[in-house]
Amino acid sequence: MLRWLLLVLLLGIWDARAQSVPVSRPYFMPDTVRAYKLARAHRTALLAQLEGAALPGNADYRNHYRRISTEAATDIYNTIRYSALLDTVLDAAVQRIFSRIQQGNPTLRDVELVLVRNPEPNAYAVGRTVVLNVGLLPTLENESQLAYVLCHELAHVQSRHLQTTLHERLSTLHSRDMRRQVRHIVQAEYNINSRMKELVMGLSLSSSYHQRRHERQADSLGYELLRRTSYAAPQAYRTLQLLDVADAPASETNPELARYFGCGGLAGRFATAPAPAKSIFTVAGPEKTPLQTTDTLKSHPDCAKRMAYLHGLAGGQIAEGPQPVAPAFARLRDLSRLEVLQSWFDTECYDHALYEALRLLPQQPAADSYARAIVQLSLYQLRQRLTEHRFTEVVSNSSSPQPAAFSQYLRTLHELRATDYADLSACFAQLPTSPAPVAASDSDEYALAARYAAAALAPDPAPAATLRRQYLADYPRGRLRELLFAESQIKRKSN
Amino acid sequence: MLQFKRSFLTVGLTLVAAVTGLAQTQTLEGIKSMSRSAITPIYAGHEVKGYLMYGQADKADRKNDNYHLDFYDQDLGKVSTVTIQKPAGKYYLLDNAFNGSAFALYYFNQKDKTLEIETYDTGLKKLASKAVSTDISKMEMSGIGQKMNTNNAGGEGAQLFSGLDLRPVEGQGFVRSSADGRRYLLEMYDNNLNLKWRQQTDAKAKMLEMLVVTEVTGNYLMGTMMRRPSLLSQQLSSYIVAFDLSTGKKVLDQPVESSKTEQLSLSSVGYDAARKEFVAVGEYYKLTDKPFVNKSQGFYIKRFDDKGKLLGIRPYNWQKEVKGLLPAEARKAMDEGFINYTHSIQKGADGSLYLVAEQYRIGGKGMDVALAVLGGGGGGAKGIIGNMLVFVLDPEYKLTAIKCFVKDESKMALPPGAGFMGAGLTGQFIKAYGGFDYQFTQQTAANSQFNVVYINFDKEKGEATKKVVGNILFGTTDQFKVDKIDGNSAATYSYVYPAKPGYVMLVDYLKKQKQMGMKLVKLNM
Repeated sequence: MLRWLLLVLLLGIWDARAQSVPVSRPYFMPDTVRAYKLARAHRTALLAQLEGAALPGNADYRNHYRRISTEAATDIYNTIRYSALLDTVLDAAVQRIFSRIQQGNPTLRDVELVLVRNPEPNAYAVGRTVVLNVGLLPTLENESQLAYVLCHELAHVQSRHLQTTLHERLSTLHSRDMRRQVRHIVQAEYNINSRMKELVMGLSLSSSYHQRRHERQADSLGYELLRRTSYAAPQAYRTLQLLDVADAPASETNPELARYFGCGGLAGRFATAPAPAKSIFTVAGPEKTPLQTTDTLKSHPDCAKRMAYLHGLAGGQIAEGPQPVAPAFARLRDLSRLEVLQSWFDTECYDHALYEALRLLPQQPAADSYARAIVQLSLYQLRQRLTEHRFTEVVSNSSSPQPAAFSQYLRTLHELRATDYADLSACFAQLPTSPAPVAASDSDEYALAARYAAAALAPDPAPAATLRRQYLADYPRGRLRELLFAESQIKRKSN
Repeated sequence: MLQFKRSFLTVGLTLVAAVTGLAQTQTLEGIKSMSRSAITPIYAGHEVKGYLMYGQADKADRKNDNYHLDFYDQDLGKVSTVTIQKPAGKYYLLDNAFNGSAFALYYFNQKDKTLEIETYDTGLKKLASKAVSTDISKMEMSGIGQKMNTNNAGGEGAQLFSGLDLRPVEGQGFVRSSADGRRYLLEMYDNNLNLKWRQQTDAKAKMLEMLVVTEVTGNYLMGTMMRRPSLLSQQLSSYIVAFDLSTGKKVLDQPVESSKTEQLSLSSVGYDAARKEFVAVGEYYKLTDKPFVNKSQGFYIKRFDDKGKLLGIRPYNWQKEVKGLLPAEARKAMDEGFINYTHSIQKGADGSLYLVAEQYRIGGKGMDVALAVLGGGGGGAKGIIGNMLVFVLDPEYKLTAIKCFVKDESKMALPPGAGFMGAGLTGQFIKAYGGFDYQFTQQTAANSQFNVVYINFDKEKGEATKKVVGNILFGTTDQFKVDKIDGNSAATYSYVYPAKPGYVMLVDYLKKQKQMGMKLVKLNM
């Protein structure tokens, strides 16, 4: 009886603690067995699919094919093992959409979808696995658009584009004609590099042509697959419109650095961003290969061309311009942004993590405490890498391919000294918290880690030791434990 | 020089390498071999504004190879590649110079035994090409050989004795210097390589002359001139000289080592543009003392106006002026016989003068030292390199502080006869052969911040031993601070190069993997 009472009491405490945790947090499951099993299953399936069929061609062809198969299987294993997002909200939602597509297209049932923590807006198909990056979700407006992306990838699977591409490329590469050309170039002795480059460019042109043809097929078949579902087919056109500007949102809103960090000794520091360094070269832009500059050599046609094609395919029945976002999908987008932010942080892209956290602050009050924690943790990591002389490994260079606002922010980041981070952290801590619907508890993992980071950055880091002990006691399997207190660090500090 | 691997795979990888590099790093594959001189920083004034990488690619025809000139900006962003076709395996880039409007690339053509210069505009379009010397002296050949084969830390000024030098003159052109041990030659070219003026040792001169260019500032080219009556003579005397850049006329030619009361050795000479003064720095000895056997008495600063008139000489005696300010570590080293080699003299934005020096002495068994000093044998004598020192003088040349930065001692073998050279010259010998840990001093365009870079490792045991890249940071906005980078890596060779302010560039070359990585490292200031 006493045991039951104790259990009820414990459950009550657990429940109270669960309620105090804000809703807006990225998903974390310390148990990785599920991801491991899933990764193994997809690796096995891919290998079986690629290597099951009898291989044509000569021995070089077959060896090369097997090598690529093994590499692809390893890639898919690693992708799923270390970044599969198996949560109950986002994954459940995208799986539901995927199921609806499959219900409308019963021949596609043996294909599986995996949602992964990758901040880049992208999706792709490998074998019978469709991989969807969580970074794609915030760029879309409704389920129909997501359904079209998935239909496009399913079309690749249905058309066996991977196998066809592999076969075409390897056949060309290991053909007699190619061997003869390579032998001819090598035997000629002169200008081998430039002639090889020409040959490679020729191969690229040929493979790009075939790949572009596949993309067009996938656009077309994907549209047909979408039409067979209950989703709105006109949204296919709008999907391409959105993908065309997928990189743009980052440049629209620049976090107000002066608001967050411009106090005390740092006042005025962020009023104007440092001017870009003037180059002594007047060469027109950075060197680009033809693969970057020529549309006909890209794997995917320009979105404008794809949209025009789809426009014709849909007979003008298209959705254009901004679409209303339903509350349920808006919730998905908000959650996926948290996953994107966490993904930047987990992959040690602290410049992106800090930038996205600052952008998130005014936009998602419910995620206020989480975004604030990531700001403090990013500042801590940036300072750490700076003192370890690894700053340039975790911070991008300010350069023209980056959006202008992000480049400006990077220049500011590069100007900061190690001693500045204590002030930045202190300034940021003074900022009033957003009136979030559910406040973060002091014992929340992120809040506690952020307090540790701020303490470690402060001029007197003594309180950090106490917070470190508290974190390690409260979160023995915490998400941030490895990053903040890796075993080597723990041992070093305890000695 | 870089040598690219000639294979199908390499082409693909090289293409990949060309499009990467958003971060301040670059990784290149398929590099068969690499020496330190494969990469040269491009300076605009005092600041690094880019890098030039020179590599031998493949055969162009029966007699020529394709060579790649890869230009990078200060953030390691690839700017462009220029391909030139030159004699197979016998064409070397010695140096580059940028004068604000044009790049000059200085080559050695081993096939034709010529020195050649090519100029390019800032859009990297070729302006001119010229063989500037068809008569390369033995001394220059020795310098070229040393430059091509040096893979250890050498740092700036390591070609001191070769006489080979190409300096940019802002907006005007380039000055080339040449030497054969008997006479010096200076030639000024415009951006299109038209000769503007030539200055050389007078044909009737009784003394042999050798010029080491130290600085091009404002209107002047400055250097130290060494004169002796014959090649075998031990009566070597140093002069500071300055030439007017617009005419080539010599405007200053003053003896430095002549004194009735002391022996002076010259370490460096600079120009104070604000005061329009030439400033020479070195150490001094008693007339009866022998360098290295006896300790120097102190260092001196000698000033001349721009007409060559002596304005004054100020000695700083170790015991009287210096010792009181010396940190304990430096005092201990001084007691052990270490003397200082001045690497650079920097004028801060607030008028302060900074002398960057490194301690050294001759080490080895007693007989070896004696032989080294007397000119015979000396097989076991070594140059022992000690701590870094920075002397701070206020605008009135009052010594206000001395900062000592302790390093592990490192050693280098000295050749027989090193002792004949005199204190300053022996230091210059160690300098020329890359024996010092000091690498370079980099500074902001406004002279407000300086970074003295050194690499500390045991040169006898090689780079595989513990290696530290030290950065001594100081200036008008900074207190003295040392930022030490762990320089240990699995690389076959590692090099450190100057970079944009607040950074250094580390380069690792892995021979087995045929891979080279360039990385900008932000310093802790």
